[in-house]
Formats: sequence, C-alpha cells, structure tokens
Amino acid sequence: MSNLKFVIIFLVLSAFVASPFVLGARASSQVVAASAVSRAEEVLASAYEAVLEAEGAGANVSGLLARLSEAGDLLAQAHVSHRLGDFDSVARFADLCGEIGEEVKVEAHGLRDQAVLEADQRFRWTMTWSIAGVVAILCLSLLGWRAFKRRYHGRVLGMRPEVGSDES
Amino acid sequence: MNLEEYRTVFAVTSLALVLVAAFPTLSLVVPFPRGGERFSELWVLGPNHMAEDYPFNVRVGEEYSVFVGVGNHMGSSSYYVLYVKFRNQTQPLPNATASEPSPLPPLYEFQAFVVDGETWEAPLTFEFLEVSRFENSCLVRRVMINDVVFWVDSSSSWDSENNGFYYQLFLELWLYDVTSRSFQYHNRFVGIWLNVTAS
Repeated sequence: MSNLKFVIIFLVLSAFVASPFVLGARASSQVVAASAVSRAEEVLASAYEAVLEAEGAGANVSGLLARLSEAGDLLAQAHVSHRLGDFDSVARFADLCGEIGEEVKVEAHGLRDQAVLEADQRFRWTMTWSIAGVVAILCLSLLGWRAFKRRYHGRVLGMRPEVGSDES
Repeated sequence: MNLEEYRTVFAVTSLALVLVAAFPTLSLVVPFPRGGERFSELWVLGPNHMAEDYPFNVRVGEEYSVFVGVGNHMGSSSYYVLYVKFRNQTQPLPNATASEPSPLPPLYEFQAFVVDGETWEAPLTFEFLEVSRFENSCLVRRVMINDVVFWVDSSSSWDSENNGFYYQLFLELWLYDVTSRSFQYHNRFVGIWLNVTAS
C-alpha cells in the first residue's frame, strides 16, 4: 500500500515538474510553426510575383502556375492545421510549400530572362523588316510615280488636235 | 483625272502601305489599351456539376458534396484564396456595399493560381458530425469539411417562418494584391443554406 502511495506521489510530482517543460515545448512548436507559415507565405507571394514578371515579359507560365497551385494547397493545409493546433503538420506543410515556392521562383526568373531576350530579338527583327518594308514601299512609289508621270506626259504630248467636220 | 489628282492617289496609297509595313513595330512600341471589364467569378455547383441538387436538408453522419469554382478575367494570372465559413441566421455575412468580409473566422481554405481567361474548380465535401437539439434551439458542435474536423459550436433558433434550423456554409473570395503585398477581400461570396431539422 505504501508503495502505491509512493508511486502516486511520484507521478503527481513528475507531472507537476514536467508540465512547464511540456507547455514550453508546445509554445515553442507553436512559434516554430507560425514562423514556418510566415516564411512559406512570403516565399509563395514572391514566387507568384516572379511568375507575373515572367508572364509580363511574354513567357508561357501555365506550368509554373500549376506548381504554384500545388504549393498553395500545402499552404492552405498548413493554415488549417494551424487553426486546429496541429503544429507538427503546420511546419511540415509550410516547409514543403516553401521548397516548391523557391523552385518556382528560380524557374520564373529564368523564364523571364529568356522571354526578355526573345522579345528583344523579336523586336529587332520586326523593326528591321518594317524599316526595309517602308523603304521599299517609298522607293517603289517614287519609281512608279516617275514612270507614270512620264507615260502620262507622253500620252498628253502625243495628242494632236483634230479638225472636226461640221456636216450639218 | 488630271495629274494632280493622280499624285494625290499615289501619295495616299503609298502612305497606307507605309503604315501597314510599320504596324508590327508600332504595335510593339505603342501600348494599346486593353478593352473589357476586369473581374472574377465565384460559384458553387451541385454534386453533378450543375446549378441544381444542392444539399439542403442535411442529416448527421451523411456526407454531402458540392463544387466550388473561380473564373479569372483580371487581365493577368491571379492568386486567390477562398475562405470557407459557417454561420447561423443571425451571424453576419460579408457586406457587399462596404466591400467588407464577414468577421467570422474561416474554417477551411483553398488557394488557387488561375491563368487569365481560365477557371479553377475543387470539390468541397462536408458532414455534420455532432448536432444537439433542444426545444427551440439547435447546436451544431462539429462539422467535417474535406476530411478535416472543426469545432464550430454554433447555435440556431427555430425559424418559425421557414420551419427549420438554418445554417449557411459560404465562401469568400480574396485576391492577392501585388502593390500592397497582401490579400484583399474581392467582394465576392457565395453560399448554400442548410436545414439541419431532419438531423
């Protein structure tokens, strides 16, 4: 009986002594989870902004947006887990989201640079062809006009006055 | 026609051809305004992907499903968040006039990146897990949304006009704003009414 009392007292004391550590560990995991979510949110937002830049430069970003949606699903799960107090899952989902976001961001920057180069090249080609076209049209018009004028004058100068007969 | 008139015809034709030749370059340099209104769509469809057969008379322990969707017509790819919220008849909805969201906390959420001119859709399943009823009131304790259990503890009084205990599951659409680097309520919400009397 005395042994049982001793065990109960020991357990109660252990629980009492351990509770600050348990609560502290929970608070610590809550802080870690909140920080992971905040980091993942920032990474996802900056990845989206990088994708928008790439899209603005004319790149095809549908593949990147599909991957961002995967990351968005993970971030949504992290938020839901955070609301439910499941902090281990929060950190796991947020870290995965952050990894995908970083990858997408790097790829988006690459796509943007490539799109800018291609657009620059396209612009040079278009401008070259436009200038060549304009010059060709102006030259042909001038030559055409001269030829037409010569022919017109020749026809006018070749005309001879005719004497009309008045038989009435 | 005399020579002057022929010259005018030549000049006008040449100018038109010059403009045609220069148009590809001009289109790259001069920003032409984009026409059309910019907006987003938000919808809920029934279990058969149609705007019918929505769950209404719900029972505890039965799973119901609908589909939620977003259409992007904002002129560029957009980043959306959809918050799923749950309310009784007296709790506030979003204020469409003031463009303010409902102050109720979200339960579940979706995040979606949608290409301009395209749509996004996802299933939303829900189940009432614990409902208590007293004489003229009903208390929904737990609901499950997409396999995640939420404690809601939401009570509702008997609606004598419509004969039932009514709750609403609704979704708010939020849009990421690049300028402020934060989500803004996009003034779109949609919901379905649920009668838990039969539960």
